[in-house]
Amino acid sequence: MYGWAGQRLRIDLSKGDIIKEPLSLEYRRKWIGGRGFNSDIIYNEVSPDMDPFDPKARVCFGVGPLNGTAAPSTGRVTVTCKSPLTGGFGDSSMGGHWGAEVKYAGYDQIIVQGRAKKPVYIWIDDDKVEIRDAANIWGKFPRDADTMIKQELKDEDIHIMLIGPAGENLVRFACTFNDVWRAAGRTGHGAVIGSKNLKGIATRGSGSVKIARPKEFFEICNRLRQAFKNDPMKMGLYEYGSLCLINIANRDGWLPWKNLQYGGTPLANNMSGETHAKTVLKHREGCYACPICCGRFTSIKDGRWAGEEFGGPEYEHAVPTGPRVGIIEDANDIWHNARLTNDLGMDGIETGGVISVAMEWYQRGLITAKDTGGLELEWGDEKVVDQLIQDIAYRRGFGDILAEGGDRASDKLGLGDKGHYYTITTRGMTLPGDDPRGLGFGYGLSFAVGTRGGCDHLRSLCCLELSGALYPGLNTKILGDERPAKPVTTVGKPYMVYYEENQKTVTDCLNVCCFTTHWCYTVLTQDQLDYFNACTGMDMSIEEFLEVGERVYNLERAYWARQMSGAREDVVPERFTKEPMPQHVDYQTNVGATLPINEMLPKYYKYRDYEPGTGFPSERKLKQLGLDYVAEDIRPLRKRYMSESEQKKKKYYY
Amino acid sequence: MAVMTKQQAKQFAEMDDFFLDLLNLLKDKGIIDNQERKVLLLTGFEKLVQALEKKKVISHQDSKEAMAKGFTSLVYALAD
Repeated sequence: MYGWAGQRLRIDLSKGDIIKEPLSLEYRRKWIGGRGFNSDIIYNEVSPDMDPFDPKARVCFGVGPLNGTAAPSTGRVTVTCKSPLTGGFGDSSMGGHWGAEVKYAGYDQIIVQGRAKKPVYIWIDDDKVEIRDAANIWGKFPRDADTMIKQELKDEDIHIMLIGPAGENLVRFACTFNDVWRAAGRTGHGAVIGSKNLKGIATRGSGSVKIARPKEFFEICNRLRQAFKNDPMKMGLYEYGSLCLINIANRDGWLPWKNLQYGGTPLANNMSGETHAKTVLKHREGCYACPICCGRFTSIKDGRWAGEEFGGPEYEHAVPTGPRVGIIEDANDIWHNARLTNDLGMDGIETGGVISVAMEWYQRGLITAKDTGGLELEWGDEKVVDQLIQDIAYRRGFGDILAEGGDRASDKLGLGDKGHYYTITTRGMTLPGDDPRGLGFGYGLSFAVGTRGGCDHLRSLCCLELSGALYPGLNTKILGDERPAKPVTTVGKPYMVYYEENQKTVTDCLNVCCFTTHWCYTVLTQDQLDYFNACTGMDMSIEEFLEVGERVYNLERAYWARQMSGAREDVVPERFTKEPMPQHVDYQTNVGATLPINEMLPKYYKYRDYEPGTGFPSERKLKQLGLDYVAEDIRPLRKRYMSESEQKKKKYYY
Repeated sequence: MAVMTKQQAKQFAEMDDFFLDLLNLLKDKGIIDNQERKVLLLTGFEKLVQALEKKKVISHQDSKEAMAKGFTSLVYALAD
């Protein structure tokens, strides 16, 4: 067996069963790994009407055939479940070293189902798998639980996936960490793990990954590593982390200020990567086999948060509980908030998103201090933000309502359509810290159609319009046209989104970091295929390889279709279509822009072969992808989706 | 080989998003089949140019120019 370990581990916490299931060559070829394996399990084993917190619900951890090898940035893990935030398909990806360790222990995927009677953690020591008592680590921050498990097992070298207190308290956007700081942030799987009374999975692997054609494989890896030395995006990411984007986002008007009412702030440089590096950066960190090392480790030196230290932040971690809630003057407040959401185990994007929408409800008089337990939700008030982050994690007072996510909170507060107008969500999930009126219309389109709701930088992103201009000729090579590299245009965007979605999906099946491929365009699809084939000994063609991405993407889309979510839900928050971008920074480049989403959607549907009425994948497309059983599932739902009663429903979550 | 008229080439050159329409035209003209259309949709512009050169629909020089200048150059080459 080359590349893959060849088996998955299934653990039933209700029964205490531990089962190892072989993965056939045909199966591996169809789904490749990671996101592909996970999506297949969730589609087939978690029905559309199952509550995400039902003990029978699954949470899957998938790795790919390259995890644990020398290929660049191959330490990622995909975590997938039915999302308790959106009620639909949910997955997220994390870096770190745990993915490689899972592979060395001999597994391509871990599936957890059932619910333990009391808090437990799982200990995987190669073949030996145990379910152990977690009473003493329940309630602990991941950093403390990590230390305690290592002490208990008397092994400093193990790698551990953990949830924080928010996951235990079923906060609908709780997340998962490994190596303490590397988060799979989105869609709330931390709460699903918590609902199973599972604190984490500690892993020790002493095996290795066999390479089919080692000489060829290492030549490719070495060539790519050399090429990274001169990659323009890599240099910025290494020097300043993803915070290198702050000043660019501010100039181009996509840095959210006060719940995306504006696209920038004159004081943005206070939190830029350049400022962070000069003031609080302790050291840089890299995930497994990474040639970029975009990770930061922050140490706050002065002010009220002096002495706090943590791994991070990234752009998408710092922006939501910073400028999105009106905080910019003292960047230490932003670093502190990022540290707090990490320790408590919550998705920073969703946490900042739900606090910022509450602040806008307050600004516009939709709620008052009577609704918030006396809190005055004024923009930029760090004391309020600090308290709300903790109240959300422990489900106290008004925080208990916000812990449900923006759209559910709006309904609980009885705010009607007005409340939902200000939740910057798609299919129930908050959009990241990127305003598509400035970041790019391709991003806007991908936010509308993404298969996990509002997506972020590690999903269906369109880096051809963000970083494409740094690589002359690249847009022409892929799209035949350089014009799509300009963000604020619809030109070429439907094909760009179709192409990049397939590419990103197959990258997630390999569990390779997006930053090394189609963000830094040093590793292109052909390079990925070359090291995949050399590693596994397969002879996959480029079209078969990309078709795996298309297959997985359509399966995920079909999951939503089973929940009556299709064309009517392919929308973006109305703020982007109705409110021209106001000027807030002198040199801003996108003043007056709105997102013309409806100009792009019909063409995008044609690329995808979605039905125009329902937006469901066509029967022809599903059969072409070998998903005949999915076509059977979807067939009776097409008429139902178009029925009058369905058309009347407003669906903000499922 | 002339696959389209100069008028059609001009219409393509003015399109905001041309790729799918061009592939459909090439299929309708019998230059590529359904399978090739599917493959080229997945793999992008460079593979299309390579395929057209291999089929001798465009010359090596046309191919080089298309990769340097983009699809406008390609559609006018297809109209020659």
